[in-house]
Amino acid sequence: MSVVIAPGPTETQALVDASGLGKSYPKVFRNTDRLRAMGGLLLGRGNRDGVSVLRDVDMVVNRGQSVGIIGENGAGKSTLLKLISGVLTPTSGQVRVAGRVGALLELGAGFHPEFSGRDNVMMAATLYGLTAAELRDRLPGIIEFADIGDYIDEPVKHYSSGMIVRLGFAVIAALRPDLLITDEVLAVGDESFQKKCVQWLERYLGDGGTLLLVSHSMYHVQKLCQRACWLRDGTVAMQGDVFDVTQAYLAYHERKAARTEAPTENRATIEFTVDQFEINGQTGSQPVLIEFGSTLEIRVCIHSRDCRVPVLLIGILRGDGTAIYGFSSETDEVAIASEGSSGDYRFAIELADLQLLPGSYTLRAHAADSEGLRLFDTAIRDVTIRGSTREMGMIRLPHRWIEHHQIEVGESESTPDPHKMAAS
Amino acid sequence: MVCLKAAYRYDSALNDGAAVLAKRSIALARGFLWRELRNRFAGSISGGLWALFQPLIQLAVYAFVFVHIFKARVPGADAPGYVPFLICALWPWTAFSEGLLRSTTVIHDNSALIGKVALPREILVISSVSASFIVHMAGFAAIIAILAISDSGIQLLGILPAFLLYLPLFALATGCALVLASMQVFVRDLIQVLAQLMTLMMFAAPIFYERSALPETYRGWLDLNPFTFYAETFRGLLLGYGTTDFVRIAIAVLVALIALFIGHRVFRRLDPHFEDFL
Repeated sequence: MSVVIAPGPTETQALVDASGLGKSYPKVFRNTDRLRAMGGLLLGRGNRDGVSVLRDVDMVVNRGQSVGIIGENGAGKSTLLKLISGVLTPTSGQVRVAGRVGALLELGAGFHPEFSGRDNVMMAATLYGLTAAELRDRLPGIIEFADIGDYIDEPVKHYSSGMIVRLGFAVIAALRPDLLITDEVLAVGDESFQKKCVQWLERYLGDGGTLLLVSHSMYHVQKLCQRACWLRDGTVAMQGDVFDVTQAYLAYHERKAARTEAPTENRATIEFTVDQFEINGQTGSQPVLIEFGSTLEIRVCIHSRDCRVPVLLIGILRGDGTAIYGFSSETDEVAIASEGSSGDYRFAIELADLQLLPGSYTLRAHAADSEGLRLFDTAIRDVTIRGSTREMGMIRLPHRWIEHHQIEVGESESTPDPHKMAAS
Repeated sequence: MVCLKAAYRYDSALNDGAAVLAKRSIALARGFLWRELRNRFAGSISGGLWALFQPLIQLAVYAFVFVHIFKARVPGADAPGYVPFLICALWPWTAFSEGLLRSTTVIHDNSALIGKVALPREILVISSVSASFIVHMAGFAAIIAILAISDSGIQLLGILPAFLLYLPLFALATGCALVLASMQVFVRDLIQVLAQLMTLMMFAAPIFYERSALPETYRGWLDLNPFTFYAETFRGLLLGYGTTDFVRIAIAVLVALIALFIGHRVFRRLDPHFEDFL
């Protein structure tokens, strides 16, 4: 199916403009509450108290942009989509949408189980705003895209969930909306149909379409979106470039999963304490943001109570606690000198051309006694590596792709296997 | 809050052009109407024919019960037979009451749709009322045809005005239905109360009896029931029984328009909050 959206002179026009958007649901416990709420609404008073699910969301989506909305369950993603698609009315703020919206909030929404697939497609297309004439033109295309064969004339109640998904997406694909809103749609359907949907979405975006996508799959978000908006507890936690936001979001998750309790011993009685833990010149407890491939500089100051020489151990861990690499001043046989007689020992380490892949990591600095046997104090800092590589895992290992003809030469010298010759 | 929704719609209307928007709304209404009609007759062997059979069977039952068991007679020298007398008021009533009762729950019944697809929800209500009117007007047409053929005193000239009288009745029903359907979202037991109220309203209108059958002091009260006008005017037009008063027609049209206006206002005010209470 060909999709043509004329990129008019309004190319940089804001398609969605939301400001101060908020939604709260009324608290309804008893039936009399409902009656009172209705009375209040009829008299023109709003619902005063409610459970707030979304607050102060500012969002501008320009024509041709694709924005992924990410966040945990209950963060308000679906509510935001519903507000933008006009299904819900905001409690505060406002949203303007300039163009035809195709909102796929649930696949198969509005399908009637007794009616045939064809009838349901016609009804759904009408629901999404196609006129009778447009529908007549596009119906064959929809049925072709859905690709469910003779089932199209069977009642929908006999369909598998996959077939309903196919039919639902086919209708949306035929809409050619200015703004496409989808909520977790790619999660359903089999592998090949998912691929078909993603391909369709990529073409739609390539033709200048605008997309708002809710997904828990960071892969899909990164693949399809340029920008991302991370919602946390009903507010925007972060908005911006898709890689920055998804990485921060994943980092948040990993930290949440592996948050360890900081030691609460009385520091004054400890023999060695990590007094200062500076990463790339940043102190404090804020996560440090480092570009992939740049230099990581660590400065640590260990205070030794009775001026015994300490050992510094540095550990790099994945956000979820997996150890990646560790080293110490003892194994590296570093010469350590105290600053006068204050008992402060300063260390500086440089990790040039850092090969940690984008993601979230934890850096630990441990203070151990001079024999390196006992850990006395630990300082932890979160580090986020930023970058837009599509490599997988945690670390880049040096590698080289051997060129094709070289393999052939190598193989043919030892075993002239006809099978392998054919494969090359 | 109400104006926000309006602003939203206005905005998209600006983009699409009012004509396209109207076209879409009509397509949508037709779709819902078609679905509603198919729903009502889905699974029945006779399909759409049932719409014609049902009133005929009902007619046979009423004729038997009232004429042969109760020996009902309409007072007056040149009075029509009881069966045509009853039919002319009862069929419009059935359209009205069924239209109200079915459309009251229509928002609630379609809650899954309302939460997922942005659409002008009035269309759901209007389609539901329309479906009832279409079914019962078709039945009415069939039964009037039979009465005319069997020479039961039907005034042929009154048939067209009688069908035009369905217009204000439809407007009245739609206005009431918009109020009831939006309130049903908030107050779930409304439909039970309404079913009782409709029975009461049926007997409080001169459908089974004639105004003069009431004691003198109660006769004026009948005019408080909006259906009294329709019962009497349908009979006046179709049977020439009683007079057709143009002032009363004007009042009825005005009442219907006011009902439509109030219904629209109430619906618009509650509409943005349906999702919160469904």
